[in-house]
Amino acid sequence: MEEIRADGITKRFGNVTALKNVSLKIASGELFFLLGGSGCGKTTLLRCIAGLETPTEGRVFFGDRDVTGLPTHKREAAMVFQSYALWPHMTVGQNIAFGLEERKVEKKEIQRRVEEALKMVKLDGFAKRGVDQMSGGQQQRVSLARALVVRPKCLLLDEPLSNLDAQLRLEMRSEIRRIVKENDLTGIYVTHDQAEALSMADRMAVMDEGGIAQVGPPEEIYRQPISSYVAGFIGETNLLKGTVREGRQVETPNGVLTATPSVEGFQPIPGSSVILSIRPEAVEIVNPAEGSLVGRIIGRIYLGSLIQYSVGLDDGTVMQVTEQNPQIIRSPGDNLIGLRVSTEDVTLLER
Amino acid sequence: MSRKAAYSLTAAVTLFFAVFFIYPAVMVLKEAFYEEGKGLTFSFVIEVFKNPVYTEGLWNAFALGVSSTVVSLVISFPLALIGHRYLFPFKKSLSALILIPLVLPPFVGAVGVKQILGINGALNACLAKVGLMDPALPVDWLGDGRFWGVVIMNALHLYPILYMNIAASLSNIDPAMEQAAQNLGCPPWRRLMRITFPLTTPGIFAGGAIVFIWSFTELGVPLVFDYTRVAPVQVYDGIKDLGSNPFPFALVAIMLVVSTLVFMASKAVLGRSKLGTAPRPKGKNVEVRPKGGKAWLCTLFFLGVFFIASLPHAGVVVLSLAQDWYASILPEAWTTAHYQEALSHPLVVPSIQNSLFYASMATLVDLILGIAIAWVIVRSTIRGRAFLDALVMLPLAVPGLVMAFGYLALSQDGEAFRFLVQGAKEDPTWLLVVAYAVRRLPYVVRSAVAGLQQSNLALEEAARSLGATPARTLRRVSLPLLGPNLIAGGILAFAFAMLEVSDSLILAQQSEHFPITKAIYSLIGMLGNGYELASALGVWAMVFLGISIIGAVILGGKKGGLFRM
Repeated sequence: MEEIRADGITKRFGNVTALKNVSLKIASGELFFLLGGSGCGKTTLLRCIAGLETPTEGRVFFGDRDVTGLPTHKREAAMVFQSYALWPHMTVGQNIAFGLEERKVEKKEIQRRVEEALKMVKLDGFAKRGVDQMSGGQQQRVSLARALVVRPKCLLLDEPLSNLDAQLRLEMRSEIRRIVKENDLTGIYVTHDQAEALSMADRMAVMDEGGIAQVGPPEEIYRQPISSYVAGFIGETNLLKGTVREGRQVETPNGVLTATPSVEGFQPIPGSSVILSIRPEAVEIVNPAEGSLVGRIIGRIYLGSLIQYSVGLDDGTVMQVTEQNPQIIRSPGDNLIGLRVSTEDVTLLER
Repeated sequence: MSRKAAYSLTAAVTLFFAVFFIYPAVMVLKEAFYEEGKGLTFSFVIEVFKNPVYTEGLWNAFALGVSSTVVSLVISFPLALIGHRYLFPFKKSLSALILIPLVLPPFVGAVGVKQILGINGALNACLAKVGLMDPALPVDWLGDGRFWGVVIMNALHLYPILYMNIAASLSNIDPAMEQAAQNLGCPPWRRLMRITFPLTTPGIFAGGAIVFIWSFTELGVPLVFDYTRVAPVQVYDGIKDLGSNPFPFALVAIMLVVSTLVFMASKAVLGRSKLGTAPRPKGKNVEVRPKGGKAWLCTLFFLGVFFIASLPHAGVVVLSLAQDWYASILPEAWTTAHYQEALSHPLVVPSIQNSLFYASMATLVDLILGIAIAWVIVRSTIRGRAFLDALVMLPLAVPGLVMAFGYLALSQDGEAFRFLVQGAKEDPTWLLVVAYAVRRLPYVVRSAVAGLQQSNLALEEAARSLGATPARTLRRVSLPLLGPNLIAGGILAFAFAMLEVSDSLILAQQSEHFPITKAIYSLIGMLGNGYELASALGVWAMVFLGISIIGAVILGGKKGGLFRM
């Protein structure tokens, strides 16, 4: 359990800059997520922290230790790889014992700790199995056990669930969180799956083009995205362009909406152009007279527990609206409907 | 393609193989284990094992095979590893360059090795000059038995096979495998031994089996070194009284059994090895550019290996231009007379013509068969595909000597292949063409299969949907797309056919039918300036082959593909 700090990390590969002056502070015992699309630099950042890459500029601290020049195995940060990287020429037990052998732990102790690690990932009795006799989910657990058995202070996970099917992924989410918390580890978890991040993270960083777009707890990132990129990356959203009138009133081509600034202290200047982010599930379909926006249903997708409508506004903008547990199923047509959004659900973003 | 066509092609190819590959091999076994009037007998084989000369020959051949494989591995593993990990100046051209020794004729190179390492060779002259050796007491580097001379030549010739296989294995390893070990505290040297080396075993076994079989049954190199106490040479010497002597056949049969066992063992190891856990996106291998001078050290290492591997042949070139080269580092006077003399020698020009004809015809046969077989393997869905695939790769495992003996037995009067040997002069042209073709077929099939797998089926379907018949689709779409692969495989087959020793020495009896290899061997045996003439002819052969391999590398598919079983 250790605090991890990245200080102004820049990483260049030839002419390509993968990370641009990234600074982060991860509290000890925290399960922290790095989230972003492919090529955003999240894995590179993790590998810099793991010691598998050396940053071109900047420093990495574990607690008070400056580990920037320290080789990976001296950092006490164990890594779980996306491909699991289980060695096919060793059994499950041998895979797990590897790190202990390298640390010259006594034989008896190794055996005890391998069994303990297997128990931790609920694979007791599998030590003699060949790696290729294990299913994908089991292999994932083995690779977790292999990392945990050396009792690291931090656990680094690189898209650990991306190779599992949907059902297993759900199961492993709570499993991984339990293991990190039970072992008092500082965890850094890289993923492109927002559901994974939202459901598991203590805090998370959304990354974009080698930089950090926003850091915060999941609910804050979802409800108060700092930019249209974050709003669009985490969950679905409707982005409307507008101009600030006065206070928090924003004029859009389809009417005036009252919005909440995403960051506290952000004072919109009248006349400046802004973007409004409205989540589809925050919109309610009402009579035309009651809505702050009006439009016509032009399409719908039925998903069982919810229904998603595409609503065309007067100027041609299409808004997505979802209704939970739909009672009436509306049909596309020429009838005008109203859309109502409460002020706290309209997020004001700087353009 | 239709299933019917696929089945008939498979049947035709299987028949061809049964007649020209399995039948001769079986013939050798029959001669070894069958006695007129007595039926099945083991007495010949038992007799061989009782005879101390033959057991020594077999044991020496085995030792040659093992030593050559080990030395090849020692050369090729660091090469493959450095090539896999690091980026260094001229890497691309150097990676191609170090493959060249594979197509330099080894028994020509052996002449060079003798010239350099012999008692009166260049190395001793060099040592004497710098004062490290007393000229009166020269060191005999090659030793009495010439054993290490053969090993060095074999290893310098065959290491590219292992290199290509190991490189292919390395590129199959998920880099995260090594990083995981690093992350868990495994230092680089132990990581190499505990993770990287075990994971490359598929490549080591696949390549090692071929190198072993090749050097275990190598005939040309020991012949040139005059190393007679080795089974292939004993077999060759036994040909003269073949009618009455069944022991050469018994020896060949034993070699066939050993080769087959080694081949099967390597297959079994390959079958059991796991190339990693279930297929999933693995990390990309990033080649590191070492800092400062280290990158140039890599360059120097590659260059050094190529330099040493081509030294024997450089020696041949020097010898071919030397007026007199004896006990000196370089000849004292130079001349091109050997080339002129060689061209006027009655053996030389016909042998070049013969070899070009034999090798081209064999390549043509291989291309036609290879395309058909690859087509069945890749594009059809019939059940026999895997069997066909395994069948056509078998010639890699069967020693050339065995096939040559089978053909020899079958081309005698009244035997099945007599029709391939025409006229009173016993013209072996078609016998040689078939013998060359069968053993080079795997290279063409592998490259054609690789080409077909890369090309998109939809391109062919588009042509078909626009009204082209299957035959015209093949001619107008598939073949042009396959072109580079076919040329690469064909060139390799051609080069190896030109280098062929066993079939050539054994099957060509009359001097007007000699291919280059046999002509070189005859010249070496000549008194006077035979060595120089042989060298001049050898240089001609190398010029042809050098051009071929450069073409093959430029046009070639992925490295390693051609030598994987």
